[in-house]
Amino acid sequence: MGGNWCAHPCLMPLSWDNFRVVEFPAPLKETGSVSESLNFEHQLRLLPHQRGDIPHTESWYGIQEFVVITPGTNSEAVISESKCNLLLSSVSISLANSGCQIPMFVQIQQKWRRIYAGECHGPGVRTSFEMVQLRKVPSQYNHLSGLLDIFKSKIGCNLLPLPPVDIAIRFTYILQDWQQPIWPQQPPGLELHLAATWLHLTEGIVVDNDVYSDLDPLQAPHWSVRVRTSENPQCLLGDFVTEFFKLCCRKESVEDILGRGYAEEEGKEAADISSALSKLTEPVAAVPLPKLSVSSMVHSARKHIHRHRHIDESPLHIDILKSILLYLFPDAAVEKSSDSQSKMPTNSSKTSEEKLCDNLVLQLKSAPTDSLTYRLALGLCMVNYSYGGLPAVAHLWQEFVLELRYRWENNYLIYGLAGGPPDLRCCLLHQKLQMLNCCIERRRRRDEAPSGMGGSRQREHKASCGQGPSSAAATSSNQAKSWDSWSDSEDEFFECLSDQEDTESLRSERGPDSGKGKAEGRLHPYNDLTLLNSMEPLYVPVTQEPAPMTEDQLEEQSEVLAKLGTSAEGSHLRARMQSACLVSDMESFKAANPGCVLEDFVRWYSPRDYEEKYEVDEKGNKVLTGELSARMKIPGNMWAEAWEISRVTPARRQRRLFDDTKEAEKILHYLTMQKPGDLARHLLPCLLHAALLKLQQEESVEKIPSVEKNIQQAITQANLLLHSGSYDYKKLEDFINQLVVMETVITRARSLKDKFAVDKGEPGEATEELKKFVSSLLEEPEVVVTGAGQGLTGRIIHRLFLNAQRAALLVPGDDDLEPERKKAGESGKTSDFPSPAGREIILRTYVPRPAPYSKALPQRLFCVLMKEEFRLAGAFSSDTSFF
Amino acid sequence: MDDGVLTTLKLLIIGESGVGKSSLLLRFTDDTFDPEQSATIGVDFKVKTLSIEGNRAKLAIWDTAGQERFRTLTPSYYRGAQGVILVYDVTRRDSFMKLENWLNELETYSTRNDVVKMLVGNKIDQDDREVDRNEGLKFARKHSMLFIEASAKTKDGVQCAFEELVEKILQTPGLWESEHQGQAFQLKDQDPGRGRACGGYCSIP
Repeated sequence: MGGNWCAHPCLMPLSWDNFRVVEFPAPLKETGSVSESLNFEHQLRLLPHQRGDIPHTESWYGIQEFVVITPGTNSEAVISESKCNLLLSSVSISLANSGCQIPMFVQIQQKWRRIYAGECHGPGVRTSFEMVQLRKVPSQYNHLSGLLDIFKSKIGCNLLPLPPVDIAIRFTYILQDWQQPIWPQQPPGLELHLAATWLHLTEGIVVDNDVYSDLDPLQAPHWSVRVRTSENPQCLLGDFVTEFFKLCCRKESVEDILGRGYAEEEGKEAADISSALSKLTEPVAAVPLPKLSVSSMVHSARKHIHRHRHIDESPLHIDILKSILLYLFPDAAVEKSSDSQSKMPTNSSKTSEEKLCDNLVLQLKSAPTDSLTYRLALGLCMVNYSYGGLPAVAHLWQEFVLELRYRWENNYLIYGLAGGPPDLRCCLLHQKLQMLNCCIERRRRRDEAPSGMGGSRQREHKASCGQGPSSAAATSSNQAKSWDSWSDSEDEFFECLSDQEDTESLRSERGPDSGKGKAEGRLHPYNDLTLLNSMEPLYVPVTQEPAPMTEDQLEEQSEVLAKLGTSAEGSHLRARMQSACLVSDMESFKAANPGCVLEDFVRWYSPRDYEEKYEVDEKGNKVLTGELSARMKIPGNMWAEAWEISRVTPARRQRRLFDDTKEAEKILHYLTMQKPGDLARHLLPCLLHAALLKLQQEESVEKIPSVEKNIQQAITQANLLLHSGSYDYKKLEDFINQLVVMETVITRARSLKDKFAVDKGEPGEATEELKKFVSSLLEEPEVVVTGAGQGLTGRIIHRLFLNAQRAALLVPGDDDLEPERKKAGESGKTSDFPSPAGREIILRTYVPRPAPYSKALPQRLFCVLMKEEFRLAGAFSSDTSFF
Repeated sequence: MDDGVLTTLKLLIIGESGVGKSSLLLRFTDDTFDPEQSATIGVDFKVKTLSIEGNRAKLAIWDTAGQERFRTLTPSYYRGAQGVILVYDVTRRDSFMKLENWLNELETYSTRNDVVKMLVGNKIDQDDREVDRNEGLKFARKHSMLFIEASAKTKDGVQCAFEELVEKILQTPGLWESEHQGQAFQLKDQDPGRGRACGGYCSIP
């Protein structure tokens, strides 16, 4: 078993037809030694599980290496007796002529009967292989004694007494209907095959005839068990993922699905909101943080539905919608006790487990498991599978975007997203949501400014420096259309709100020694340094944060930068385009450090470009002198140029590098335009992430090594599939099928464990043994039951059969229990086991043939008795030297 | 130009300011040395096609500014890089000491976890060396990086640094994608059913 044959087929034209000759060399794994091939266990396999067109010659005749001649695919079977004989004698002649010692077979009769006859020539020996096949077991041969009779008559030996016949028997019992009330929704579809085997019986030791049988499976010395799974196990996880995957190919837009009318009204609403927004963003009218209840978000969504649609029209039932929205935005449920501040997502330190999970995020490019994006994927998958498919997905998505707009409009942070710039390692949708949160956060910070102060500063700035942006920035914004988001919003100013900054600036405003003008926007002193031209400490200024970017924006920007080419001019232009941030920092620095020079700035910003050394001055004192590095001194270099053009402006009065309003609207528009299909593609990594996690989690309970290994492989594969630019749907489908296979194995494991009550047993050796047994059932094709029917595992298997038998008795009907196979001594009671699905018997002996003075040679008869098959395969050897 | 190009690789050069990142790149792409190379603002970009064992790879190399302040700006360019050149200045120990920070930065912002890293100790032409070759080697080993010492001024080791990095990337399966990947893989897939269940005897169907 287990070894692979390498079959070398070739075609052989014979006078009347084509034949296919296939050589089956001994399996590579173990070259069958004689003793091995006589090993009974090795040869006994039940037939129903055979597959493919490999002849069963191996088990039937007990040989491993042979040549088979079968009629070609389009040729007629060899049915007529004369043809059969012609073929067989040809084989015989060719074997004799060639001296080939490999057995050669011919397939005769109808193909489905799988009858192979043949010969083998050895030195002084000739073995002929003969086969009989019938559809019904003749009653006189339905037991051991009848078969022994055949065997003996076939040997035709005239020696008396006959040497003892060695008998090996294997009965196979099938347990099909495992009742399992615990898992009603998931029929396990498992079939248990129990093989009870007697090896090396001798004739006379056991009695098995038409009235009595010693062959009680409970008493069999060897038991082995196999498990088969039904063709279509129900896999809920697999179904969820598969259905969601199908969404990826849908082309319909939300409008197509929900109807135009709805979308139009939606549009009107949006227009209202944007006008309201412009009011909100009006800097003067800095709205105090509204004390609106957060739950109103969900309520507004609900009202919205009531307003625009009849409940029966909406694809998702309002209660389901509400509970899913609450799942997605759990902060809406707890609004009454605390204010929204406390629910800001925090970036807490991470445990090692979370890091492991992070790794999966990275591999699959999905989103963190606690994130809104991840929950959205699960929610949409759920809605898609259980609550109405595509229309429900469109509906939920629309409500989702509405909720986001509500949050943007009312300055509520979106719950469940890590703070900071978009994480480029996550999926694009997650980045977009993070970006929206960035916008909300920036705007909140502006709005939270002490209104009086903020307002006055705004006005002051408008009055003082309305002459337009710095030239460098202007150049850059003209050239870089991609991120000149600030270019058309000159009224928007960055507002820095650090308390420290305020106190600092107040102090410096009052300070007597700030002769060169008011210092503004100081963050903190820098390393006790003082300005080169005064004794003022060098201050780190409050600076603008650079604009966060999502990967699509970044790509666009890199493309623009890359397009400038690799020439020196290209490089120069690139530097210019990126100097907005540098100029902004310079301006902030100038404002915080009145009277500073470029050297001061460089000491903070790029310390290595300020080279200090000790020199001895004319008075002989060691003096620390410093100068800009050579590259900073190059005339007309970008840094010097930027320093020249930058004005004295604290960050809060500079033009914003990041226009949150515009950015947020862009994102909301982007989200609105996503079709359910787009959405499914966006979220597929998250869903596969969830599926893999679930499998991993379930596997860790069951501990199945093969699944554990497969999950690791699947992760690697998913990494490749999801990172490539466009999805390969065929491969993804295969991938999802792999997940289903793993789920099936886990389900099977669970079902088996349950049946063998692995987890219920008290801890101890017995439970350990059971555990080992069940896990080997999952990993190995066939498992030996230690102690056979008397062992611990055997007793459980016995009970399983017993229960099934009792259950079958309660439902009398078309059971074809053979009454004669009842257990001896218990007449009147039914057997603990059903009648065997198959009985295999091998009879072997050594007798001299054909004459009494011939050499004693092995004789063998293999018998298969099944419900619809009776097969005898005999290998009878005769001496060719002494006959 | 693109004919016969096996793949396009994205490389990244990082390290403290003033260690010679841009000079290394200029030496590699244009084979020149500019003592007046100005300090990079943000990121810069160069392209070069390299031939390794008959395979032509197009390299898109992003050169970053080393200044602390630019580190809020540059990490976005780490995205999708297959190879990273981490540079320090052998005449400045502090640039060597900061390597750990750069590796952390890389780990945080890199979007793939199998990036090939090359550590380059630059400016070996200068006399005032502060970091011994063995120290660099040890550090590189510890963090599973390739290692080479180089001088952008004298050309030493520059070409080699890039070549070895690219070679290693090409040797790493799954890290790069062939321009004709679709076809190559399809052939494999179309391979008809593997040898059928020959030993079908034992398997549970």
